[in-house]
Amino acid sequence: MADQSSKRLLHCVIVTPEKTVLDLKAASVTLPLDDGSRGIAVGHAPFIGRLGTGEVRMSGVAGGTSSQTSLRTFVEGGFAEVGQDAVTIITQRAVDATTIDAAEAQGELARITAERATGDEAIAARMAAETAARQRLRAARS
Amino acid sequence: MAKARALDRRRRSVRNIRKITRTMELIATARFKKAMDRSIAARDYTRQLAKILGNIASVGAGVDHPLLAVRPTNRTAVLVLTGNRGLCGGYNSNVVRQAMGLLGQWSSEQVATHVTVSGKRGISALRFRKVTLDESYTTFEDKPAFDEVAPIGQAYLDAYCSGAIDRLDVVYTQFTNIAKQEAVVETLLPLKPPQQDEEAESRAHLASEEYDFYPSAESILEEILPASFQSRLFKCFLDAAVSEQVARMVAMKGATENASGLIRDLSRQYNRARQSQITGEIMEILGGVEALKQ
Repeated sequence: MADQSSKRLLHCVIVTPEKTVLDLKAASVTLPLDDGSRGIAVGHAPFIGRLGTGEVRMSGVAGGTSSQTSLRTFVEGGFAEVGQDAVTIITQRAVDATTIDAAEAQGELARITAERATGDEAIAARMAAETAARQRLRAARS
Repeated sequence: MAKARALDRRRRSVRNIRKITRTMELIATARFKKAMDRSIAARDYTRQLAKILGNIASVGAGVDHPLLAVRPTNRTAVLVLTGNRGLCGGYNSNVVRQAMGLLGQWSSEQVATHVTVSGKRGISALRFRKVTLDESYTTFEDKPAFDEVAPIGQAYLDAYCSGAIDRLDVVYTQFTNIAKQEAVVETLLPLKPPQQDEEAESRAHLASEEYDFYPSAESILEEILPASFQSRLFKCFLDAAVSEQVARMVAMKGATENASGLIRDLSRQYNRARQSQITGEIMEILGGVEALKQ
């Protein structure tokens, strides 16, 4: 089983409303589900999960356009569908995590934390925005 | 001489017009290809969303989301997608005609409407017809970006959920294929419930993949319906952009051909005028010679 799975790779696809951002094969993928990260390897039970804001990390990447073996993509919300040796990520926004500017992300976080929110909905919206900004900053720094 | 010269001047101006229309045709062709590529690239997203929706529907999760609720229409929103520029045949006027029909229907049923128009042509045409526009955009050209469309969609979602509108119709030109584009009225809100067609169901059974849902099917449904609405709205914008380029391409091709025909006719007339003028001059000279002989 072990040597069989080492040959098999996960087919990973990231789609946004505008285009297919990534389409390649990887040994494992870490998904930022909305309640925490989850690692996926070949043979994972099929599931559909809701994504939070954070990084999709792929390791042991084969194929695709870049020569790197690991890739980090920052996504904001969406869904992941894990099927038979395939991971499909459907998100509204996906950017290469290495292109995020740390100073800009820091500024964004400072702006959000400086804002005052009143009322349940506004507080919830601010909390979500703050979490997203922190995740973005973390992605920029790592 | 005067007639021949006038004909020549006209022929020259038609030639210039032909150059312009030919260039516009080429530009429209290039833009159409780009817009088409974007439209094709966007299809994956819609397909994947539909797949997940189908999966949720097949496990029979309770489908009662506010976006699916059909309410009596008291206040409706109409979004009209036209182009910023003309010279594209009946593209803008077809959309405006559809929009006027829809608005007329709502006003006869005494339903309040919230009208949003994208594109300068639609804005001026509807203003001319004394339609009050609540919002208008002129920023959408041949490459609508999702980030630009998403806030508009979000505003509609908020308005629908808060009960400010009970329905959303989009009037746009649907792109079926290169030979067929049609101005249509599409109802985006309330959303059509996820279809559970038999084919998809049998495929799901064949694949025998039993999906787990994290955190739950309801939670995913809650998130996926707005996403599916957004992607459908975005598709309307993309379709409108592609159709506009096709319409301009066809219109400019027609104009170029017409100009070529006109040039041919004018050339013929010019040559005839010139020849008859020469003949006249020769006759005059001959007449003069005959007179001198006597």
